[in-house]
Amino acid sequence: MNQILTIFIIGFIALIGNWIGYKVPIMESLPGILLLAVITLIGMGFTRILPFKSPVIVWISLFAMLATSPFFPGNEYTAASIAKINLLALATPILAYAGLSLGKDVHLFKQLSWRIVVVSLVVFTGTFLFATLFAEIVFKFQGKF
Amino acid sequence: MAEARVNEYKLHFIVLVLVALTEFIGTKKISIGIGVIALFPMLYALVLGGAISWPKFKFLSEKEMNVAANILGVSFLIFIAKLGANIGPELPKLLGSGVSLIVQEMGHIVGTIAFGLPVALWLGLKREAIGATYSLDREPNLAIIVEKFGANSAEARGALGVYICGTLFGAIYMSILASILGSSGLFHPISLAMGAAVGSGSMMAAATGSLAVIFPEAQKDIAFYSGAANLMMSIVGTYVCIFFSLPVTQKLYAWLEPIIGRKSASSAAEGGRKSA
Repeated sequence: MNQILTIFIIGFIALIGNWIGYKVPIMESLPGILLLAVITLIGMGFTRILPFKSPVIVWISLFAMLATSPFFPGNEYTAASIAKINLLALATPILAYAGLSLGKDVHLFKQLSWRIVVVSLVVFTGTFLFATLFAEIVFKFQGKF
Repeated sequence: MAEARVNEYKLHFIVLVLVALTEFIGTKKISIGIGVIALFPMLYALVLGGAISWPKFKFLSEKEMNVAANILGVSFLIFIAKLGANIGPELPKLLGSGVSLIVQEMGHIVGTIAFGLPVALWLGLKREAIGATYSLDREPNLAIIVEKFGANSAEARGALGVYICGTLFGAIYMSILASILGSSGLFHPISLAMGAAVGSGSMMAAATGSLAVIFPEAQKDIAFYSGAANLMMSIVGTYVCIFFSLPVTQKLYAWLEPIIGRKSASSAAEGGRKSA
């Protein structure tokens, strides 16, 4: 129950962000936000009733893809409504909550050696850079761009 | 039952104010010598949020910060739904990019080890290096390490160190990195979008967001390909970590440590806590 409410509150915050930042009137974003919330909740519920453990992200992705795919009833309305929600309007609340959680790790961070900090940066760079490079090579090879 | 219940509405209210304020300020692009640094609402929100939660101010309790971290996870799910909804209408395009999806995933997996392990060893880390570099060390990866080596092992210390750094400045760093790589002109926005799907909610949101600001005309493609890459990662990620990344990192460690590892740094000093 609590998580359902949380989803709708976050949806409301994104609605405001989409209006202030990307000039989409609230009533115009409302269907898209509600559809996103419903898809998310279905994915969460589905993960819970499955007899085995599985990542909730997979199911939410799949349900969202299914609901907007050409063979699903009402797909055009669903896709068009969700398209009105700017991706960045959904990302801002994530990082705001992330910000509010930072303080808890500050004292742990102070105990770390500078070496592990350097290694972290190298690890972050490595995963981003290598995946980008590998994708670029495949696309170039395929002649896509 | 819970003593001192956390008031979630306090957190939601702060986030609402942060979102309204930062979206109002909007996106700014700053040109520096080597490229364009994109400053945008989510970054202000992250920094302002971090300032609010700074322990010295005592504005938020540790419990409230933990709850904020949980809500962060929930809010990422809606973001995921948005990315999925972007893929659905063009499902055939997804199947057409199968090869690049698999190969870029290998890049994500290999990248942390190939880049991280040699540097970690060169800096004098011992078995901490295994935990620190075998993956991006988010929650599931941390669980794998703890299960295998125990919570007090050197490997777990290394993994936890990278985890803490990731929570604290991973998102900021990823958005700077995305800005630099994006404006370097070396890579296509689609390749960068795939690279941005690093397997951490806040880091991915920050990297994807930066790319969307730098390449506004490619915003749909960016959402499509980072969404697809993230789906790939979430399906295979854990298994690859257990059955490939970790054993390979251990093997490489055994092979490279005698070659690169610094004799001077003591292995007991968690990640080399030596001064001088």
